[in-house]
Amino acid sequence: MFPDRQTRSFLDAAVLSRLAGVPLFARRPMQGNVSGRHASPHRGASVEFAEYRKYVPGDDLRRLDWRAYGRSDRFYVKEFEADTNLRCCLVVDTSGSMGFGSKGITKIEYARKLAGTISYLASQQGDAVGLGCVAKGLVQNLPPKRNAAHLRLIFDMLDQAQPKGETQLASVLHEIAETIRQRALVIILSDLFIEPELLSSCFQHLRFRHHDVAVFHLLDPLELDFQFRRPMRFVDMEGGPSIFAEPNDIADRYTKALHLYLDQMKKVVLESAVDYHRVSIDESYEQVLVRFLVGRAQGKGLR
Amino acid sequence: MSFLQQWMLAGLPLVALPVIIHLINQRRFQTIQWGAMMFLLAAHRMSRGYSRLRQWLIMLFRMLAIAGLIIAASRPLASGWLGLAAGSRADTTIILLDRSPSMQQRGAGTGDSKLETGRKQLVRMFETLGSGHWVLIDSANHTPQELESPAALRTLPSAGPASSSADLPVMLQAAHDYIRNNNAGRSEIWICSDLRENDWTAESGRWATLRDAFLEFPQGVRFHLLAYPQTAPTNVSIRVTDVRRVQSDEGAEVLVSLRITRDGGGDEKVPLQVQFEIDGARSVMNVELTGLHTDFKDHRLPIEKTRTRGWGRVSIPADANPDDDDFYFAFDVPPPRRTIIVTEEPQSERPLKLVSGIAPDPALTLKPEIIAVEQLPTLEWEDVSLVLWQGSLPTGAIADQLQKFVDRGGEAVFMPPRNPGNEELFGIRWSEWAGGNDPIAIETWRGDEDLLGRTLSGAALPVGQLEIRKYCGLSGEHTPLATLRGGASLVARVPTKQGGVYFWATTPAIQDSSLATNGVVLYAFVQRALEAGVAVLGKARQLDAGVPTGETPSQWTRLSEGDQGLSTEYPYHRGVYSSGDRLLAVNRPVVEDETRILTDTRVTELFRGLDFARVDDQAGSLSSLIQEIWRAFMTLMLIALILEAALCLPKLARSNSSGGSA
Repeated sequence: MFPDRQTRSFLDAAVLSRLAGVPLFARRPMQGNVSGRHASPHRGASVEFAEYRKYVPGDDLRRLDWRAYGRSDRFYVKEFEADTNLRCCLVVDTSGSMGFGSKGITKIEYARKLAGTISYLASQQGDAVGLGCVAKGLVQNLPPKRNAAHLRLIFDMLDQAQPKGETQLASVLHEIAETIRQRALVIILSDLFIEPELLSSCFQHLRFRHHDVAVFHLLDPLELDFQFRRPMRFVDMEGGPSIFAEPNDIADRYTKALHLYLDQMKKVVLESAVDYHRVSIDESYEQVLVRFLVGRAQGKGLR
Repeated sequence: MSFLQQWMLAGLPLVALPVIIHLINQRRFQTIQWGAMMFLLAAHRMSRGYSRLRQWLIMLFRMLAIAGLIIAASRPLASGWLGLAAGSRADTTIILLDRSPSMQQRGAGTGDSKLETGRKQLVRMFETLGSGHWVLIDSANHTPQELESPAALRTLPSAGPASSSADLPVMLQAAHDYIRNNNAGRSEIWICSDLRENDWTAESGRWATLRDAFLEFPQGVRFHLLAYPQTAPTNVSIRVTDVRRVQSDEGAEVLVSLRITRDGGGDEKVPLQVQFEIDGARSVMNVELTGLHTDFKDHRLPIEKTRTRGWGRVSIPADANPDDDDFYFAFDVPPPRRTIIVTEEPQSERPLKLVSGIAPDPALTLKPEIIAVEQLPTLEWEDVSLVLWQGSLPTGAIADQLQKFVDRGGEAVFMPPRNPGNEELFGIRWSEWAGGNDPIAIETWRGDEDLLGRTLSGAALPVGQLEIRKYCGLSGEHTPLATLRGGASLVARVPTKQGGVYFWATTPAIQDSSLATNGVVLYAFVQRALEAGVAVLGKARQLDAGVPTGETPSQWTRLSEGDQGLSTEYPYHRGVYSSGDRLLAVNRPVVEDETRILTDTRVTELFRGLDFARVDDQAGSLSSLIQEIWRAFMTLMLIALILEAALCLPKLARSNSSGGSA
């Protein structure tokens, strides 16, 4: 696969081989450059009939349906659906909070695994893959391309991505929505520690631009359960003020705030038709990806 | 609240242990790099009311649990009035027990008297408190009596009811003497009394002396008063004020005069049945009471003509206080009233002989004898009731004879000689004569009591009408019964064991005073002294329980039922006794019919400066004055632990919602 046989810590060949049989589909029509597996908003040369259209001067005479002419004495052009490739833009949150992990793996490491595997799978089926690393802004960005060398660059960028700084995911998503010229599959891998209202506008913006948006919401089990025995001093990984708290005292309210946030997030993704996956990073990423790919396969065909 | 193991309270600072542990726990915090700060910040912004309250409640319940455990281990007592009495064991506990008849008052709806209830309460209390020594000083004989255990109070005869009055100052003096003589350590004095004014004599100057004396003890003496101040307004008491036998043509009769006293409700008319009993023969008189006092004069009880002496009993139906519902009396042929007159001048001799020789009652026989000083050594003093002495005070053997005479209850009245000398008798010496022809006004005299007191009808003696021209000064300690203008004593009384002797500062002689010409005062004075003197000589005597009489109780034999008591305590128990050929009717003193109670303020004043605590109890009270309540604190501790555990219970785990997708 790689000329210099360089191994990537976030890639598992066994997982890649197992997932290779499950294609990655877009849920919305994509505008690719070449033929591919994905539905296109345009008519093309696939075997799937789309519609009859009246002949207009200039149409290729080879596409006239002579049988229809015979029956109706009118000229009709027979059109077929076009299949195209997609542009997969991976947006990985590299803010400081992504460096947290209580189960032997951090969220950034988990995000690397997901992003690396998805980019490999997309590349293998001929899709263009790009990568953006987001922290205080768009820290690094690789536009979607289809060649294998580009995939290597993506892996290198994932390898080098370090959690640091604040999160400005919302503004970056707006920026991405504007800068990706054609319809694309935007996959966001983040802990999404921003207000759901801000995300809502981002998702709406991406949707307006006809992008297919998928979100992997990465959360650590400790962040979900908040189980501590002793008084803790919580140091903000993104440089904010520290908080001293008695866990027994604050656990109830923390849980309440968390669930309120998750409920709002659920509402936002439902309203925005985002392919949302909340992931506890102690789960197997393979299972998460299987769930993701299978779920998308079921939604395939929408044009 | 008091504690039996007070030293355990030193552990009370452990109550702060939960707080200290909390603070230490706070110091042992861990630092963690945390990503989800937005939820922490949101949690901080949320209302912390219940959560904070829960934390404080948990802390409070933990502290309560520790406090409950420590207090329970300190063995708390449910009594607020003990002060710190139970904090440490007293070396000596002295019990001053008021056994007077008023302590026999029953409570409403109970058969227990104040005395009985007080004894039970004290026993229960002392068995809990403990002490090194137990000493009982009862109101009858005032002698400290060591007890083996507090339980002895239940059965000890000297802790039972008596008919004599209590004298709290004397009892306290006895307690003081006991502490001083035995070098007692930390002492507790427990007084069980019904706070009757007559028992406490709060106006007595002895209280101030006692206070000072107790304050001098370096070891400290603590006073506790178990008071039963409740009165019984429905209570009625009966008393025989006079009894005498009269002979008539038809036969003989005993004339009994009664006074029935109600403790309250004087406006209503109350029917009452009075029962008389003489020699087993009973008779009943129905009377109607109006006012607080009802007097019956000379109720006639016929007896056999040949019976010259005997005894009887008057009783009324039992009421709140059964001890004042009966009264014993004894009667006999009155002895001749023999008066010895010793004068040095004839002007005084005749008036004195007249006033001592004219009987107020034809049935009485008066025998005034004029005797020269030289004849006195050979005089038979046994049947002499009164000595009227005008002249120089005797010395030597005659003085001794007079001393013995007075000690056995005889009465003596002295008047000054024309030429006073340096002789002294009963601590009194005549000084110089004063005055001239002008009468000297009598400024004050005691009309409320003693020999110059008012008559039974309430009329005052015409002492102010006397004309005193000359008087002889008195030197020595005495109590003036009448004083002249200028402060000189006209009539003085010197107390003795059996009453007193009297000194007139003038004589009945014309040139000295109008005592002879205006003879009412002198007559009443002499007749009253004669009656007091003859009362001792009679073979039937009415005695007040507990009052020294000169009799020998060891020779007494009980004739009536009355109070049950040891033979050595007969003088303190009402009833009729025989002593040789004499009949002695012992009854409660007249002051016992007084129902006035000391006010709370007055009681507090009496113990001012002393370590004093008081509790009021009721006759028949079943609740113990003190009881250990450690169980309550153990229960408190358990409740606190249960509540703490309930508050610490973790909430039901929510279903893990991770891995959801939309």
